[in-house]
Amino acid sequence: MELRKDALRFALGAVLFLCAGPTLLTAQNLDPADLLKPRADSWPLYHGDYSGRRHSSLRQITPQNVGNLSLAWVFQTEQNADIKSSPLLVDGVLFFTVPDNIWAVDARSGHMLWHYNRPVKGEHIGHRGVAMYKGWLYFTTPDCHLISLNAKDGTVRWDKVYADQSQGYWSTMAPLVVGNHVIAGVGGDLDNLPGFLRSFDPETGETQWQWFATPPGGTPNGTTGGTTWMTGTYDPELNLLYWGTGNPTPVLNGSSRPGDDEYTCSIVALNPDTGKLVWGFVVSPHDTHDWDAVETPVLVDADFHGKPRKMLMQASRNGYFFILDRATGKSLLTVPYGPVNWSLGIDKQGRPIPNPDKEPKPDGRLIAPDEGGLTNYRAPSFDPRTGLFIVDAEFSYSLYFSKPADGTYGWAGGDYDLWSKGVIEAIDYQTGKIRWSHEVGPDGSGAGILTTDSGLTISGDAFGNVLALDTSNGKTLWHAGTGVGMQSSPITYLLDGRQYVITSSGGVLFAWALPHSSAAAAPSVAHKK
Amino acid sequence: MKRFRDVAILVAVTGCLVFYFNHAPIHAASLAAVPRAQAVQPQGSATVDSAGDSPGAKSYAANCAICHGDQREGNLPTFPPLIGIEHHLNDQQISDIVHKGQGLMPGNTDLKGDELAALLRYLASPAESASKPAVETASTAHSSDSSEAGGVLFKQNCAFCHGRDTMGGESGPDLTQSKIVLADVNGDKISAVVREGRPAKKMPAFNFSAPELESLAAFIHAQVDLAKANKGGRRGVDVSDLQTGNVDEGKKYFEGAGTCAKCHSASGDLAGIAKRYEGLKLEERMLYPWGVKSKVTVTLPSGKQSAGTLEYLDEFTVGMRDSDGNYHSWLVSSVKYKVESPVDAHVGLFSKYTDADIHNLMAYLQTLR
Repeated sequence: MELRKDALRFALGAVLFLCAGPTLLTAQNLDPADLLKPRADSWPLYHGDYSGRRHSSLRQITPQNVGNLSLAWVFQTEQNADIKSSPLLVDGVLFFTVPDNIWAVDARSGHMLWHYNRPVKGEHIGHRGVAMYKGWLYFTTPDCHLISLNAKDGTVRWDKVYADQSQGYWSTMAPLVVGNHVIAGVGGDLDNLPGFLRSFDPETGETQWQWFATPPGGTPNGTTGGTTWMTGTYDPELNLLYWGTGNPTPVLNGSSRPGDDEYTCSIVALNPDTGKLVWGFVVSPHDTHDWDAVETPVLVDADFHGKPRKMLMQASRNGYFFILDRATGKSLLTVPYGPVNWSLGIDKQGRPIPNPDKEPKPDGRLIAPDEGGLTNYRAPSFDPRTGLFIVDAEFSYSLYFSKPADGTYGWAGGDYDLWSKGVIEAIDYQTGKIRWSHEVGPDGSGAGILTTDSGLTISGDAFGNVLALDTSNGKTLWHAGTGVGMQSSPITYLLDGRQYVITSSGGVLFAWALPHSSAAAAPSVAHKK
Repeated sequence: MKRFRDVAILVAVTGCLVFYFNHAPIHAASLAAVPRAQAVQPQGSATVDSAGDSPGAKSYAANCAICHGDQREGNLPTFPPLIGIEHHLNDQQISDIVHKGQGLMPGNTDLKGDELAALLRYLASPAESASKPAVETASTAHSSDSSEAGGVLFKQNCAFCHGRDTMGGESGPDLTQSKIVLADVNGDKISAVVREGRPAKKMPAFNFSAPELESLAAFIHAQVDLAKANKGGRRGVDVSDLQTGNVDEGKKYFEGAGTCAKCHSASGDLAGIAKRYEGLKLEERMLYPWGVKSKVTVTLPSGKQSAGTLEYLDEFTVGMRDSDGNYHSWLVSSVKYKVESPVDAHVGLFSKYTDADIHNLMAYLQTLR
């Protein structure tokens, strides 16, 4: 009898829970506290979480069953711009972007809920996605507006201009929400402009603080530049915001900006409440090759040479892999991860020493890597199980020119790609050695990396194949041709007990999952070659 | 770069050796002495000749379209558009170029008689698309309409040397920085140069109407404004920038450490290379020639072998075109294949060159005329 009563109570509780569940799930409401520990059924930040590791704890899709991975749905944006954004997933709805456009799409079916379009002039080079705080989205535009929209229907709540497009600024980045701060940066290196980060009040859009990477244009012997066009990461324990900054300007001619050009091509740690600089590390002192150091500053807590460390790792565009102690900004490791020919070695602080003879010259210099760098905005992933930092690299050579007649404004020279090929590399973080590499075709793939706890690495090749690799050895386990290369970084989530992997190719979003029948019971399947 | 790559692939696919048009100077006087091709042809027959199935159109499609485009639109920066060619060449001059070639455009002495006449009529006919500018009045200079019409004319007649955006090409200077252009008011200076040419600098004279000249000037001025607005843009490389090397050292490198002579010969495949390419384009092709196809031999499980040109290769599929032009593909997992790609030797050299090696090699290649 007692037992029956308990069972009844349990059943009643379950019914109440199930009734309450859908109400909560359809609220399109993201508690900022959820950003600290993202749920498996969400991808609430550009990088999925604050660490930037792009490593998922999900284990449903495994090396053994990935051969069965199939299409769950496809979403067509029906326009020409490549999707370069990482979607957010909150309460069953995906939010993703291309320049001037946001889509809200049902993550179960792939059908569109709403589409926001605001065509403007300005640089439309790409767009990385939106940020979310409670029920509001934050979207940057080519003309440097930060727009807050209602996540339910895409209606605009407020619209703030935060940089002057006519001066040469633009924006492509996905803002980062930390506590009650919405943090946004800028692009723009064809003019001598200082890069900056600005923090906005999520409710009102009022400016909370602004941090400048460089002094204003015209400062004697000063550099400009240091744009902030990629989303940073955050350590809640240290309460530090980590951000990569772009190249100095003038770009190819460094004569008017002697010295290291702080804080361009740098990784900086800021206090997110005040915007004050805590430390900065110049990844490319006195850069003259356009090697923005905006690639993900990946935060990893692990042993380094036998000592527990709070580390920051970056595979930088200049061709070097860096590990810093992220509390102090001191170097732990600096090592090239592909062909690099522009430095004279590493200085005592762990920074590459630029070779003055490899600065652009009137008769040209052969430089590795090219302007696009050994990697770029495509995200790497850190796999804690294997200790591998996996990055989509592009080996390349190019010619760099600059002559006095090219001046000291903006590009101030010219550079020309000669050759390149894409290679996914797995870097052993203890040594910087390449544990395995997997070639992905001429001119590189452009795809970012996702790793999962089950031992999978998801990425793409230059031909438009989506690839699932075995993280331990880089061997291909599954692929699907999508017609054109992936220009974004994959994400994954679990909905209704089914794990989805989201990739994009061109203007099309793909959702991959195991067939419904095998999502629960995972049969082992012979690997495809 | 991409644009050049496309062109390079086109060259490889067709096996067609067509390179820079090196316009012979044409004096205003000589041009004035010859009636314009367009004037010779009554409008009615020109319309007939421009039709896709006319003998002239067929001859064009068979002989010229592969490089100059199906619609005579050209493929800049390498292949000049032929629409409006009557503005600066008469029938005799065109016939000479067709027969003898120019730059190293191959000559074709088989084109003669009725076919040549039909081809000339076709070349003189208006373009089928609405790209022919309609410039009616002279009062529209600097207006956006006029500038737009001027842009079409510019692309057809001037872009081959001065670049599509007027900001300079391989053989013509950046007009947005030209003293003549900056001193020009409503086409007063530009018109004179276009009408008379600059024989000393190899710029031909062009026969444009006054409204056409004004529209050209309007377009060029609009581009100057654009260039001013984008003052931080990327800069070009002049042929004169690339003359710091030493010929003898380059020859030594070519024959020795560079291992170039293993595959190339100064009197064979590279004979006259400096006539076909110059400046940055020559240097880029020297370091890595885009679009060169590899050979592949595929061995089927039966032991049967197929060889041809490699068309596609990823981890999963190998695709090949055989000598008859047929395409075949196989799953990589079901066959064995061997790729021969001599161009990879260029990649192997990247990590070995010093910059001096490159400049010396460039100096040597520039002697191969």
